[in-house]
Amino acid sequence: MSPAADGRLEGRTAVVTGAGQGVGEGIARACAAEGANVVVAARRAETGEPVAEGIRADGGESVCIVTDVTRRDAMTECVDETVDRYGGLEIMVHNAYRGASPHRLEDVDLELWDRNSRTAVWGSYYSAVLAYPYLRAAGSRGRLVLITSPSGVEGSVNIPIYSPVKAAQRAMAKSLSREWGPDGITVNCIAPVAASPSLVGAFEQNPVLKERVEARTSLRRIGDPERDIGAVAVFLASDDGGYVTGQTIVCDGGSFMGL
Amino acid sequence: MPGTLAGKRAVVTGTGTTLGAGLEEALRRAGAEVVGLAEAVYPSREAAVAAFDAAASDRLGGPLDVLLHAAMPEPAFERVAFSDVDDERWHAVWEDAMRTTLFVLQAAFGQMKGRGGRIVLVTPTVSMSGAEQLVPYTVAVEGQRLMAKSAARQWGPDGITVNCLAPAPEHVPIGVASMSVSLSPPALGGPGDVVNDLGPVAAWLASDAAHFLTGATVSADGGVWMAP
Repeated sequence: MSPAADGRLEGRTAVVTGAGQGVGEGIARACAAEGANVVVAARRAETGEPVAEGIRADGGESVCIVTDVTRRDAMTECVDETVDRYGGLEIMVHNAYRGASPHRLEDVDLELWDRNSRTAVWGSYYSAVLAYPYLRAAGSRGRLVLITSPSGVEGSVNIPIYSPVKAAQRAMAKSLSREWGPDGITVNCIAPVAASPSLVGAFEQNPVLKERVEARTSLRRIGDPERDIGAVAVFLASDDGGYVTGQTIVCDGGSFMGL
Repeated sequence: MPGTLAGKRAVVTGTGTTLGAGLEEALRRAGAEVVGLAEAVYPSREAAVAAFDAAASDRLGGPLDVLLHAAMPEPAFERVAFSDVDDERWHAVWEDAMRTTLFVLQAAFGQMKGRGGRIVLVTPTVSMSGAEQLVPYTVAVEGQRLMAKSAARQWGPDGITVNCLAPAPEHVPIGVASMSVSLSPPALGGPGDVVNDLGPVAAWLASDAAHFLTGATVSADGGVWMAP
């Protein structure tokens, strides 16, 4: 466990989707370091199992549950198995996303649309609706965190379809925060920019892009998934973040400032 | 503003609703040739393209200058506790609204490419404020609002502007009052009248005069939602 950790999530259980890599892995590791039981919900065991093993090797509690967030039955199984194993579910983090590749809006077909819509939006819907009975039971410790993007606020010239599906998550956080507030549940979004494998890959292909992103970032560096983004997720998931709801925390080192 | 849209060819979608019909009337009063399309949902890109092509060739006498998209699937307006939303409802609101928006934008682009044009999406302020028991609706409207921004970024070089007109929630049948999401009363006294108050703003957004505005959301809600 990280020396900075002080057990802020002790006794709570978190499911993190898309936790086999990148931002999801960082959030899973950060929550585990604060004492949470962490379910690494990953589409593939090859990526999810090593993350759960790594957390256990560091003294945390974690298990990988192979989950396809686009399917209700798979998400139901994930939530049921989590509750069977740990006795409850306080924190649901939906981070899984698949589909970003450059395109023109006039060329978008249903296959590309579906890939974006299913992981980002249907995955958010399933995460929220299936976790709800347990989040409600957790009362003031119930948390839903959706991982969105600055592109969900400012639009995108390169991957136009990414913006509406990420915007959908922000609207869900706002409406659900109003609807679930009386239960004590908070619902928020994090809009990160961090060194996920997809971003690192994009930078390798296009070094100019990396320079441009860093140059327009106040802190002149790309975020670390665990230290920078995971820490914000821990804040929202902990008692410290208990009065923050319906919000999007942009965690990008100071680049997008349009909120 | 009679005459603002003289000589412009416009399609308004969602004219089966009070809001859509009122905006259709407003564009007509501003001088545009307008075809109103009452369909709330287009099941395919081909269906939207066929409808727009027919409107252009049979009724407008030329390609579109203006698209005002106000269509929204009817189930979107039903208030339902989120825990009671099933896959069928999620599909009927989120998927049908977003696919329809994508298809009509693509159909409009096909007619405006190389000529320029004005696209206006009607996105009530409730997507920015959030509202309980309206998760599918608010999610879909916010999705539309960001599809507009992306379209604005890509289609600017074609001279096509894409903006959003955000009316007060009172103009859609969702049972939400502006005052339920704001502590401040409407600065201008109320949600206004569709034809006479919202209409001139819509007509201006559709006009040549608005040529340097794109990707924007204009809240024409009587002065409630003032963010950012």
